Amino acid sequence: MTRHDGDAIDPLLDGEPCGFISFLDDGSVRVANQTLANMLGREREEIIGKHVEGILTVGSRIFYQTHFFPLLRLHGHADEIFLLLRAKSGEDIAVLANAIRRERDGEWITDAVLLRLVERRKFEDALLEAKRAAELATVELKHQRKIAEDANRAKSAFLAMMSHELRTPLNAIGGYVQLIEMGVHGPVNDAQREALGRVTRSQQHLLRLINDLLNLARIESGRIDYDLQAISLDEVVQATIPMIEPQLAARGLRYELNVPPDLRAQADREKVEQILLNLLSNASKFTPAGGCVSIEAEIAIDSDEMVELRVRDTGVGIPKNRLEQIFEPFVQVENSRAARVEGSGLGLSISREMARGMGGDILAESAVGVGSTFEIRLRRG
Amino acid sequence: MHPATLRRNNVKVFGKGTQPMLFAHGFGCDQHMWRFVTPAFENDYRIVLFDYVGSGKSDLAAYDAERYALLEGYTQDVLDICYELDLHDVIFVGHSVSCMVGVLAANREPELFERLVMIGPSPRYINDAPDYVGGFERADIEGLLEMMEKNYIGWANFLAPAIMKNPDRPELTGELEASFCSTDPIIAKRFAEATFFADNRADLPAVLVPSLIMQCSDDMIAPNAVGDYLSRELPGSTLHTLKATGHCPHMSHPDETIAVMREYLRSPVAAPHAEQRAG
Repeated sequence: MTRHDGDAIDPLLDGEPCGFISFLDDGSVRVANQTLANMLGREREEIIGKHVEGILTVGSRIFYQTHFFPLLRLHGHADEIFLLLRAKSGEDIAVLANAIRRERDGEWITDAVLLRLVERRKFEDALLEAKRAAELATVELKHQRKIAEDANRAKSAFLAMMSHELRTPLNAIGGYVQLIEMGVHGPVNDAQREALGRVTRSQQHLLRLINDLLNLARIESGRIDYDLQAISLDEVVQATIPMIEPQLAARGLRYELNVPPDLRAQADREKVEQILLNLLSNASKFTPAGGCVSIEAEIAIDSDEMVELRVRDTGVGIPKNRLEQIFEPFVQVENSRAARVEGSGLGLSISREMARGMGGDILAESAVGVGSTFEIRLRRG
Repeated sequence: MHPATLRRNNVKVFGKGTQPMLFAHGFGCDQHMWRFVTPAFENDYRIVLFDYVGSGKSDLAAYDAERYALLEGYTQDVLDICYELDLHDVIFVGHSVSCMVGVLAANREPELFERLVMIGPSPRYINDAPDYVGGFERADIEGLLEMMEKNYIGWANFLAPAIMKNPDRPELTGELEASFCSTDPIIAKRFAEATFFADNRADLPAVLVPSLIMQCSDDMIAPNAVGDYLSRELPGSTLHTLKATGHCPHMSHPDETIAVMREYLRSPVAAPHAEQRAG
């Protein structure tokens, strides 16, 4: 066996648990350790003096020429390169190569360490497979989402149309009842007046329900515009209180206000009033006589870019497991102690959508028998 | 005409001469690969270097998957640069896949080019039995794609986002330079497919620009049979077989590469299809 001077292999290198190979720029192999020869199932002499490509699969040879060698030549080293070696048996052996190209005895020599990657390759294959599967799933998900969104848009459009169609005859009913009550078509006796009153109440209830539906449909189809301005929360509360005061008084409830006069939100005033009124109306409906409803506002604890407007009651409360559901359309929490309360079950759903439409949200906290707190979070103005 | 071209392709122009030498890098590399040979031509020529869109420091935002799915897209890069710099009598020096880009460019605008210098050219890498030996089977190229996928997962996926998000941190760019010349695994894969699945044999007989075929000894990417095929099919070509082995003689054996190029550039132009050009 002939070898260049200085190429005599260190016995330590032979026993290393990784392959070692040295080759020149023209690819001819100078040194290969015993571990590499064992890995390939070849005699060392079958490797030394031959081209380094001889130990690589064809794909790896191309990679060597187009990537590995240019890296060595341009940067002097190539780190953590994945390569497949071709064993004498024809088996492919995955290795990770680290290589340095340097001048030694007037020649440019590359020394490379080759580490076997059996388990790691399996892992990487699985990773790649998972990546491909995830990409496919994403495409499928997008497709499904589009179908769902289309269906939802269709539903919203249908709701909006139906609501309009229903409102027209209801308004006609209301108008004609009013005319009859006014005696336009002749005198009305007490029994008839009472009956007409029932018709009117039912007509108004239906109208409210349909308006709620229409609002929800508008929100879902993204057809609500928000006029965002810096608004005073105190002014919003002061404007809302007169609308709810009679209802609170009729139910024997007290109310308390704690709203700093200088606190402002970046929001649509009309929408915030609507949300607040809805929350106050709920609080009054679900709080037994003698209870208290309080309204508080402050800068959010977790972010000074947000403000919180809270409506707290001492009402029946909502079980924890139903707390999220109450924001779903058409949901009212049934409670054995409270008679079923009038309402479409759309108020909270609409309120939350509107709060979110303004960059905020509505959160709820409750304890059964103690009371509930609804918090409107809005951007600070 | 294309004011953004020079930035898009990271074009570098230098040298003391007037006649342009346009150097086009191969797959897997960028313009840095020419740094061992360009100094030899700086005094006599105007050197033009560039990176194809998707390679080196080209503008990745300009990458169009459809345009660069075929070599025609890369050819357009070359022509855009010629137009933008108003290049004429161009000596086009291409490595590997860029040799066929040169052929396509010369066929589209023969008047722009004086000569083509081809280092390790191949008009088709995949064998076409029974008559054509390209050196590879389709499965071999699939093997390369696997190799790229594995290696780019580690490097590119990790590095590219870090670099793009930190343009003010040059040390990261340094790391990029120490990695592959294209950082985006999808772009690199497309370039590989455009390169290795191409078949430009039919484009060869139409070439009106004289050319030098630099065939390496023992080049597994472009074997001798390919060089012979080219010299038969390419009108006005001169075949020179280098002592250099491998596929990148301009990096592994720059001295011999420079000497052969110089000799060719000194020789009179052998105009192919002289009668066609005159007519």
